[in-house]
Amino acid sequence: MRYNEKELQALSRQPAEMAAELGMRGPKKGSDEAEPVGALLLERCRVTREEPGTFSISFIEDPERKYHFECSSEEQCQEWMEALRRASYEFMRRSLIFYRNEIRKVTGKDPLEQFGISEEARFQLSGLQA
Amino acid sequence: MKLNERSVAHYALSDSPADHMGFLRTWGSPGTPPTPSGTGRRCWFVLKGNLLFSFESRKGRAPLSLVVLEGCTVELAEAPVPEEFAFAICFDAPGVHPHLLAAEGPAAQEAWVKALSRASFGYMRLVVRELESQLQDARQSLALQHHSSWKPAASRCKPQARNNRSVVLENGHPLSKDCRPVGLVEEAGSRSAGLGLAERELQGPASLLLGRGQSPVSPETSDFSTLHDWYGQEIMKLQQHWQQRAQGSQPECEEQDKP
Repeated sequence: MRYNEKELQALSRQPAEMAAELGMRGPKKGSDEAEPVGALLLERCRVTREEPGTFSISFIEDPERKYHFECSSEEQCQEWMEALRRASYEFMRRSLIFYRNEIRKVTGKDPLEQFGISEEARFQLSGLQA
Repeated sequence: MKLNERSVAHYALSDSPADHMGFLRTWGSPGTPPTPSGTGRRCWFVLKGNLLFSFESRKGRAPLSLVVLEGCTVELAEAPVPEEFAFAICFDAPGVHPHLLAAEGPAAQEAWVKALSRASFGYMRLVVRELESQLQDARQSLALQHHSSWKPAASRCKPQARNNRSVVLENGHPLSKDCRPVGLVEEAGSRSAGLGLAERELQGPASLLLGRGQSPVSPETSDFSTLHDWYGQEIMKLQQHWQQRAQGSQPECEEQDKP
């Protein structure tokens, strides 16, 4: 499958949410420091605590195939796990639906109307039960 | 650069709902020159979140390509062949050409441009942050309304003013915070409590205290006793006003009785 690699590489150089050196166990490490070695697209992934200071990312279709990450401290491990948990598009979408509904309850108005996106299927309440 | 292709392809084919899909012509096949020409290739495109996949056909078993929609803009464009409803996904990356696509009609073109412009995680995050702040404002305004069960300035609630005044006059003393006249509760529900309040002009004792950097509707106003004082002052002023009117109206009533 082709993908827009150059664009992703450019994206990787943009200011990051979080950046750190973490030890990664998986495929062999690349030696080229200038370009990112790899990217993991985080949809439908599970972030799991492993040994202390270590977490893994696995994907729903193959939960045993894990990418391991070693952190320099327990604190760093916590930070990364929390950031990754919130990083998925799905999480952001659910947050949006949640806030929209809460605002409707308090004000009686739909806050998405001002953005012109109130009819989009991805923002409907039914999406939360999925 | 490595990518977790298998997982991504699995996601593309899964039954999670797509945000948009349809046939589009694309000029992005490998080996094509940077300047698109010809009629392009018709593929089935599926947008899921910020991921745009293309397939050979609707029943395609593996995605042909993926465009990750972050850090890009979507613009109308001209196709090499006229009368194509073309648009382009443009990235700000070195050595990268816009991804040219064409829809089958003007409605489809518009729908795709809208969907793709709003597809990024970045866009969603902006919206979520905005909603978070709106919810906070709305909740604080609602809390303020519950604390203040009387209106400081008559101009803010003209239709309800009569009800409020008669209630205050009957009681003869300032309303306690537990007492909520019906008119007020309705008002809270009918206007956009969170959004409108902050913009309204403040009158009465509130204006006296604006200089101190506080206001009855600012979420920063943390001192309840200050709020209480404001409304208390306003109530006393109103009371005096009505008492004067009540005394002044006696002669008028007598006059009406005269033939």
